[in-house]
This record gives sequence, C-alpha cells and structure tokens, in this order.
Amino acid sequence: MSDAQVQFINVIKSFGDRTILKGISFEAKQGEILFILGTSGTGKSVLLKNLVGLLRPDTGEIWVDGEEVSQISEEKYFDIRKKCGMVFQHPALFDSLTVFENVAFGVRKHYDYPEEKIKEIVKKCLKLVHLDDVEEKLPQDISYGMQKRVSLARTVAISPKILLFDEPTTGLDPVTTNAVNQLILDLSKTLKTTSLVVSHDMHCALAIADRIIVLDKGNIVDQGTPAELKASKHPLVKEFLMEATTHA
Amino acid sequence: MISVIDSIGLSVIKTVIMVRDFVVLTLRTLVYTFTPPFRVSDIFKQLYFVINESAPIVIFCVCSAAAVTIIESSFHMKIIIQNDALVPGFAALLILRELGAVVSALLVTSRVGAGIAAEVGTMQITEQIDALKMLGINPIRFLVVPRLIASVIGGVVLSILANLVCLYVAMLVSQYKLGHSAGSFIVAMRAFVSMQDLYFAAIKGACFGFVIPLVSCYFGFRCKAGAEGVGLATTNSVVTISISIITIDFILSWIFSYFY
Repeated sequence: MSDAQVQFINVIKSFGDRTILKGISFEAKQGEILFILGTSGTGKSVLLKNLVGLLRPDTGEIWVDGEEVSQISEEKYFDIRKKCGMVFQHPALFDSLTVFENVAFGVRKHYDYPEEKIKEIVKKCLKLVHLDDVEEKLPQDISYGMQKRVSLARTVAISPKILLFDEPTTGLDPVTTNAVNQLILDLSKTLKTTSLVVSHDMHCALAIADRIIVLDKGNIVDQGTPAELKASKHPLVKEFLMEATTHA
Repeated sequence: MISVIDSIGLSVIKTVIMVRDFVVLTLRTLVYTFTPPFRVSDIFKQLYFVINESAPIVIFCVCSAAAVTIIESSFHMKIIIQNDALVPGFAALLILRELGAVVSALLVTSRVGAGIAAEVGTMQITEQIDALKMLGINPIRFLVVPRLIASVIGGVVLSILANLVCLYVAMLVSQYKLGHSAGSFIVAMRAFVSMQDLYFAAIKGACFGFVIPLVSCYFGFRCKAGAEGVGLATTNSVVTISISIITIDFILSWIFSYFY
C-alpha cells in the first residue's frame, strides 16, 4: 500500500454479461482533487459506488485510508462511509424532512453535538453553497439547482476526509457551478480533503483538478495533470478538450 | 426446445434468488426489530399512517360487506329452508372467522402496502437509500422496522375494529331489514362464536400486518429506474401481498380449526 488515501488495484465490475469496469487501477493522495472524466455510461458512477460499498467489485482491491475494503461486511462499511461524503447525481434529499433537517441529519448521526452547535454547522454549510432562508422549506418546494446545493451542504456538514462528487454541477447555473468548483478547491486546500469528482465537464476539470483520469468503455485511456492532458493525443481527450475550449 | 428449458431454468433461478433475498430481508428486519436503537417517534408516525388514516376506509368497506353478507344469507336461507333464524349466528361466524380480518388486510394492502412500495421505490431510484447508507444509517432499521412494528400493531387493531363494526352493522341490518331483535341477534351470535374467534382474528391481523411492509419494502428496494419501475414495484407488491394474505388465511384457518 502506497501513501495514497484512495487506491484501486485492477478492479473489475460486471452486471450480468456486461463488464463495466475492466481492470481499473489508480490512486488519489490526501488533499488531491482527482477528476474522473468520461462520456455517459462508461462506468464513472459505478467506480465511485464501488469505493463506498454501494456496489461491490467482482475482483480487485480497493483501499480507503489504509484499509482494504472490497470484501468487508456491510456493518464494517458504515465506519468507512463515515470517512467519505458523497454528492449523488440526484440531489437525494429526504422528501419528508426540511432542508435544515436534511443537512443536520448526518451531523446528528455522527456527532453528539448540542442543538445550538448543529444549527451553527447547518447555517455555515448552507452559506457555503450560497443558500439563505431555505432551512424550513421542504426539498420539493425549492428548485433542482437549490436541491443539489443542499445535497452538497449535507455532505460537507459531516466533515468527511474524502469527498466523492457524482456530476456535482450538472443542472446548475454558471454562477453556482463556479461556487461549487471553488468550494471543492477550498475544502481540498484548507482541510486537506481528498476529492474524487466524476464529471464530463473538462472545462471545470482543467480549472481545479490536480490530476485527471479519462475513462472510456470501462478502461482508463489517459491520465495526468491538466497540463499533461492538454498535450494528449487520444481522440476522446481531444474531443473533451475541444468541447472545453468551445465553452470557455 | 432448449430455449424453453433455458427460460424455465432461468425463471426457477430468479425465483430462488428472490425468495432467498426476501428471507434475508425478513431475518435482518427481525434482528433489528428486537435490538436498539428503537426509533419510537418513527413507529408512532407510521402507526398514525396505518391506523388513523386507514380506519375510515376499513370501517366504510366492512359496513358494506356486513350488510351484503347478512342480506344475502337471509335471502338464500329463506329460499332453501324457509327460515332465516340462523342468519345472525352464521353471519357472526363468517365475519369473525374470515370477513373482518381479510377485508381489512386487503384494504390496508391497497393503501399502506402500495404507499410503502411507491415511497421506498422512489427513494431507491432517486438515490435516497444510498444517501442513507452514506450517512451511516441502516436502511432496514430506518425504513422497514418502524413500518413492520406499526403494521403488525395496526393489523391487530384494525382487525378487531373491523370485526366489531362489522358485527354491529350486521346486527342493525338484521334488526331493521330482517326483523330480528338485537337481543335475538346476540343470543344467536353467542351460540355460534366465542371470544376465541376474536383472538384468532387478531392473530390473523398481526400475520397479515407482518407481511404487508416486508413485501412492499422488498419490491421497493428492488425498484428499477423511472416511473414505470415505481409502478411495477407497486403493482408487484400489491399482487404478492394479496396472494400471501389469502394463502396465510387458508393456513391459519386450517390450524385454528383444531382449536374449535
């Protein structure tokens, strides 16, 4: 095991006769922002879900914070998940709870804080994602973009060591997209949080990533720093770069 | 020929896997039901949903069922034996041993069972279940256990309530439509049924209440993406619970027959 906080070693994952991940190996060091880019259906979300045990790999090793987790029990995985926060593709907010209760949910579960401290944390996290006066609203009473930001606030609230983002800026306006990117950057620099960001937005990746992995049909086709990726000859990477230039 | 054998084999394997998964869900739920932490406020919330919001529908439907039972029994008895003096007794027997518990359970299935399957299914496809796991919450403990406890208690309460209301309505109908006095109804009823029948009806209610949330949550957890997936999960759960209720009713009635 290297000094990596997250490491995949030859991970294979299939659904029926469809192999989604075909022997993936990579690592992410503490405080690093690692972007995993790829077109839709290439196994990016599957990769993240394997990391936190929401899916289990067929073969291969997955190391999280020095512990091999691919074959541990569901009960043991709860401890691993305490170290990880995940922002899902959907906002995944609990419909029956208010925004405040949603953000406070994980804090209440993980920490024995007094109510005043919980209120303070919730307010701080909502402020981080530029949300005010929505605490008492239900998720269905706010816009989709706001729901995604609440989801982000809920994840950050538990202060995880590793943050996983599954297309965090999809469906967000440019201002909020920049705010989310800045937040990922701040958390990485100030708290040394390791961030794995699944996305197909090369523009964002070039702006904030320390390293980028490009996934295609279950294989890593290229990886490196943004500067290295800019010089890539791989057709898919070139296509992503062209798209990023168009949107810049 | 080979493809037919293949498809039969595949169906058998799928069924075995489904049964295995359901048994695992049931066993895990039972373990979590009797181990702390107990989510008391969630249990009360679910009790309100199961009992308070189902009671009016159950009462309305069993009233109609009771009226139909007693009127039809009287009509046919008068044709065959030219006398309907035994109708109150037979009606009471039918109500307590079958009608009250089964009708109320089927109504709870259509309301509570479908609701749970749709709710859990939607949570599954919108990644709320995954979010629960990520926040360190066990979805079975959080979602299934409170619903199971509430449904078992609700099943008992609604079964007893349905039986009592059913008997009362049957008495009113026999008094105002068939001309039997309330006293003669009660005398005839006591000749045919005892408190034991009410206890057995409560046991049936508990068993039906046990099945409803487990099957609904099972199909909810397996829900496929999209509105169609939620619809399918809901339909499958209602059909499976209804078949289970009829089957369990047969088994329990057969077992109880040794005690009469």
